Amino acid sequence: MTHRRSVSRRLARGLGLVGLIGSILLLAAVVFFYRLSFVDLNAKQATARAINEMLEHVGLPVLVLMVPMAFVGLRVIRQAFMPLEEAAVEIEAARGHERGYRIDTSRMPAEALPFTDAVNDLLARLDDAAARQEAFAADVAHELRAPLAVLSLELDRLDHTEASRLKTDVAAMRRLIDQLMLLAQIDAATAAQLAPEAVPLTDVATDVVSLLAPGVIAAGKTIALEAGAESPIVRGRREAIAAALRNLVENAVRATPAGGAVQVFVGPGCAIRVKDQGPGLSSDRLHDLIRRHSRADHASKDGAGLGLAIVERIMAAHGGSLTTDPGARELTLRFPESS
Amino acid sequence: MRVLIVEDNDRLAKLMAEGLQRRGFSCDVAGNLTDADSAMDGAAYDAIILDLGLPDGDGIDWLGARRRAQHVAPALIVTARGALEDRVAGLDGGADDYVVKPIEIEELAARVRALLRRPGPRAQTVIEIGALSFDTAARAARYENNAIDLSRREADLLELLMRRAGTVVRRGAIEDALYSFNEPVTPNAVEAAMSRLRRKLDEAGAGGKLNTIRGIGYMLRETA
Repeated sequence: MTHRRSVSRRLARGLGLVGLIGSILLLAAVVFFYRLSFVDLNAKQATARAINEMLEHVGLPVLVLMVPMAFVGLRVIRQAFMPLEEAAVEIEAARGHERGYRIDTSRMPAEALPFTDAVNDLLARLDDAAARQEAFAADVAHELRAPLAVLSLELDRLDHTEASRLKTDVAAMRRLIDQLMLLAQIDAATAAQLAPEAVPLTDVATDVVSLLAPGVIAAGKTIALEAGAESPIVRGRREAIAAALRNLVENAVRATPAGGAVQVFVGPGCAIRVKDQGPGLSSDRLHDLIRRHSRADHASKDGAGLGLAIVERIMAAHGGSLTTDPGARELTLRFPESS
Repeated sequence: MRVLIVEDNDRLAKLMAEGLQRRGFSCDVAGNLTDADSAMDGAAYDAIILDLGLPDGDGIDWLGARRRAQHVAPALIVTARGALEDRVAGLDGGADDYVVKPIEIEELAARVRALLRRPGPRAQTVIEIGALSFDTAARAARYENNAIDLSRREADLLELLMRRAGTVVRRGAIEDALYSFNEPVTPNAVEAAMSRLRRKLDEAGAGGKLNTIRGIGYMLRETA
């Protein structure tokens, strides 16, 4: 590790140097002016006198000047850098809300402004680049829909045993595209900093279960909703929460064998739990699935795609969490309690 | 049953028309809104399948304008836009239902059938779900050749479930449809009516079509 330069240490060193040079010059002056007057005294007296003179005219003034200067200098430096330290704390606190974040320059000293302005400019350019990237991903996903629709309809015309297998692949592609579009939407909504609305969780769960139930029943499985009379209310974006729950229920349905049941529980507290009859999901595996989107191995055997990564992203944007209880075969969406 | 497909992607339009024709619909295709206008002036359609982004305008605006001018058949929006906000805008703009590309032809056909089951000036008096049929005027139900004897409330319940076959009908919606505002609804009334209806369907041979989604409501399956 290289030794980092510190402004305080440099000031101390500078003051030390000034003190040293000043002392030498003063000593020289003292020696020059008093040499003549010392000649009539004997050597012992002259030495004592000289030391005395030097303390009085060199040591004291240097001390009187240098100590307050050092004290004030260090204090000024500490105060000048205080806004930077505060900004560092604020930047750390903004973890997870990086989009659109800018350093507050209102309390910055003028000398630091070129730097903070440059950093803010850089942040703006990064936001811009990320937005372009997302818009591109959304465009690609959008453009893929039409050829995929044609492909799926062409397959429908084929009276061939392979056709249904290929249709499953098309369905998987469709799911991935839907998820990509959803991700782009979530990011756009986060960037736009839309005002959150009050969302009753039971309503969301009822909508999602109603929407998915026909497919679940067609697959020979059952689904049920367990909710109390009072719906917990969270603050957030209803469509995003519905998308998160939908992903979770779809995962649960895939994991449940034919004839099995998926249960969705609202509560206790601001939480929705999804219970399936699959093998259960360990915390490590959940973590892997969430991290998947950063590693680009999207094609999973279980067809989950980006699902859980998206759920986690939505929950993080709501200040909540996605957790698993492998013993109970449950995944839980937990939201912060709104007061 | 005649369906107008308004879609600017020729190949997609042709494939949708073909798929629906194989499922017993007769289809016309319009590639833009001008063609759609002339098609609608020339024939009466039972349903419209409408793409949103068309070369000469937005499908939703066109639908809204036509709706204000005259009665227009129920419309199913088919779009590549996946934005959830679009869904709300589409349904507010006068669309009756909404599907996102790429759609499966089975799903498309099911949605169109569901649109045609809705009550309206051109709605059929007999609703059919597979071998199960219900005459809305005579309030009589049949499964294959077996008549099903239903009370007034059971008939109302069956009609509601048949009109929305393939989708979940919520308990609240059933209570609203079956019981008038000042009629007391006991907590078990819907369950009791439903279990009587289920038993009668079972006896007529239409067993297992009625599904319960616990905590939500009921669904009549479209297919066996």
